[in-house]
Amino acid sequence: MPVRTALAVVAGKATGSLSRLTGRGGGTTFPGDVARYVDPQVLRRLARDLKGGAVIVTGTNGKTTTSRLVHAVLEGIPARVVANRAGANLIYGATAAAIAVAGVDGRLRADWGVFEIDEATLPAAVDEIQPRAVLVLNLFRDQLDRYGELELMARTIQRALEQLPEQSVAVLNADDPRIGELGSHLRRKPLWFGLDDRGAGAQSLPHAADARTCPRCGATLVFDAVYVGHDGEYRCPNGDFARPALDIAGRHLRLEGLDWLGLNLDGQIVEARLGGTYNAYNVTAAYAVGRALGLEPAYIAERLKTVAAAFGRQERFEATGRRFTILLAKNPTGFNSVLRDSIELARGKRYLIALNDRIADGTDVSWIWDVDFELLKPSVQIVVPSGDRAHDLAVRLKYAGVKAEAPQADLGRALDRLLELTPEGEHAFLLCTYTAMLDLRALLVRRGWLRPYWST
Amino acid sequence: MTTFTVGWLYPDLMNIYGDRGNILTLVERARWRGFSANVMELGKGVHHGLEDVDVFFFGGGQDREQALVYDDLLELKAEPLTRALAGGAALLAVCGGYQLLGHYYQTAQGERFPGLGLLDLHTEAGARRCIGNVVVDVSGLGLEPSTLIGFENHSGRTFLGPQLTPLGRVMAGSGNNGEDGTEGVAAGNIFGTYLHGSLLPKNPHLADHITTAALQRRGVRSLPVLDDALELEAHRRVRDRELAGRR
Repeated sequence: MPVRTALAVVAGKATGSLSRLTGRGGGTTFPGDVARYVDPQVLRRLARDLKGGAVIVTGTNGKTTTSRLVHAVLEGIPARVVANRAGANLIYGATAAAIAVAGVDGRLRADWGVFEIDEATLPAAVDEIQPRAVLVLNLFRDQLDRYGELELMARTIQRALEQLPEQSVAVLNADDPRIGELGSHLRRKPLWFGLDDRGAGAQSLPHAADARTCPRCGATLVFDAVYVGHDGEYRCPNGDFARPALDIAGRHLRLEGLDWLGLNLDGQIVEARLGGTYNAYNVTAAYAVGRALGLEPAYIAERLKTVAAAFGRQERFEATGRRFTILLAKNPTGFNSVLRDSIELARGKRYLIALNDRIADGTDVSWIWDVDFELLKPSVQIVVPSGDRAHDLAVRLKYAGVKAEAPQADLGRALDRLLELTPEGEHAFLLCTYTAMLDLRALLVRRGWLRPYWST
Repeated sequence: MTTFTVGWLYPDLMNIYGDRGNILTLVERARWRGFSANVMELGKGVHHGLEDVDVFFFGGGQDREQALVYDDLLELKAEPLTRALAGGAALLAVCGGYQLLGHYYQTAQGERFPGLGLLDLHTEAGARRCIGNVVVDVSGLGLEPSTLIGFENHSGRTFLGPQLTPLGRVMAGSGNNGEDGTEGVAAGNIFGTYLHGSLLPKNPHLADHITTAALQRRGVRSLPVLDDALELEAHRRVRDRELAGRR
């Protein structure tokens, strides 16, 4: 182990402590920047110390929750697991996580790594981390201003998977047409997972669906079931392309509230303390990773039961005699999922919806016109539009026929308005884009309603 | 009058960037005014009744989808669309749809793809992508407010022929090509632009301008006034923020 790596670890650790001491938050990425400046190879060298190996989780939606599930599965082996838990999913965040559990001798004190990685960062992460498994969850329309088109993203992911080490496995969502396509080009067969429960699926695609056409002949794909976004059971009407045969199939899906789901994964009953169809995908995906690593079905199921939602994602708390649930949604597919689930599974009637347009949210808010806010119309009682683009959101709600409160850009005032309109004992939902969720959470911490995320 | 009809070209393939907001705005505003309104979806293949369409909308697509509609557009849509426009219907084309109104699109390699040739304009691939909020001065159209706001995300550079009038001049953002300060095109009943965001919800004055243009042939001279306070407040906030950022 070169001295330079040890120096990088020390420099990174010092940065992290300083950041926490000065009240600048958890120091989830900055220590990574500093350490990589001292030794650009620091993550590559530290990752080699992982005796078990590493799992990389990527895709548009569900990275953080699924990483937590995989983390729980590996931790029970038992093993010491390093993970970038706070949603810091660029290479700096992964580096910072590794440094946090490294000793001043420059050695990593962990057996396994679980890294959630932004799609665009995947090639670099695969190269440096040399993972045992890469999980690709889904590819939805998201922040076109930052990432470019879906097609470009699919090619980036395919390029990364082609560079996987010989013994490693790609664990792919067969239900996503673009992933089905990119996976079928790989030299080594991936492990395909998906849902197989037509009763739980819809029959038509939502407005936000992207991957609609056959990659071979261009015909419009036929969906026998749609589960989330454009993920489902699809086939080309000319027989040129279809969902790959599932290695791990999720059947008999049961959803109860936003708290619980159960499904049958090839004979193994799996339950989780998570709600909604999109979490059924996350659970199936984590189970598939466990199987890819050779773990026993009953053991994986036991571990998956232990996981609660990640911060800001179906995070619930009680304050002022009212119940609240924070729902994170970053793109049309995610938004449609949390809207539908909160209405159908939790009978949601009161909402604060916060839309920001900062870099991490995507600076283009056009996507709200692809969200089916019309879902709120029949049953909703209160909607307070908030965030930097509260007024855009209010216009969107107006054209959806949803009666909303006056837009209130300031989150604190919007929250006060929601409180005024929500009687004690009732349940309100706080739907936020990424930076709005961070701001709202900070506000809730200041009010003493929540603990800061680095202490959860 | 009978029914106000919006013809949406390739709704499943050319619908990137929330283009549905433009359709919703045209349709809902007509309904709020007491018209019946419907959307005619004009996907690939032969369609009848294009002569009943009042406003056509042609949005942008990802490269892959744009390639899929290309032949269909030139072979099956060009002729009936041209006829409907000659009969007084209006057309709003955004981004990829806007580029296809012109003579051709020239790729970075110099390859030229012919467009509909409805207007004397052409587009060339640019090296840098123009991304961000845009404010356009459209005082030439006589609209109140005199600005349009939207979001652009394109690498094509569009150049207008000498006889064409741009939709407006950019106050913030790149517009047609980032060089001559123009944005979009306004040629009779045909409107082209790079602005999405979506364009019409936060620019209700433009939505009404296009609707009025299309309804001339039905003898409608002016539209009942709607309460646009919310839309115009959203408009003003983005405009002020973007213009403040320029100083």
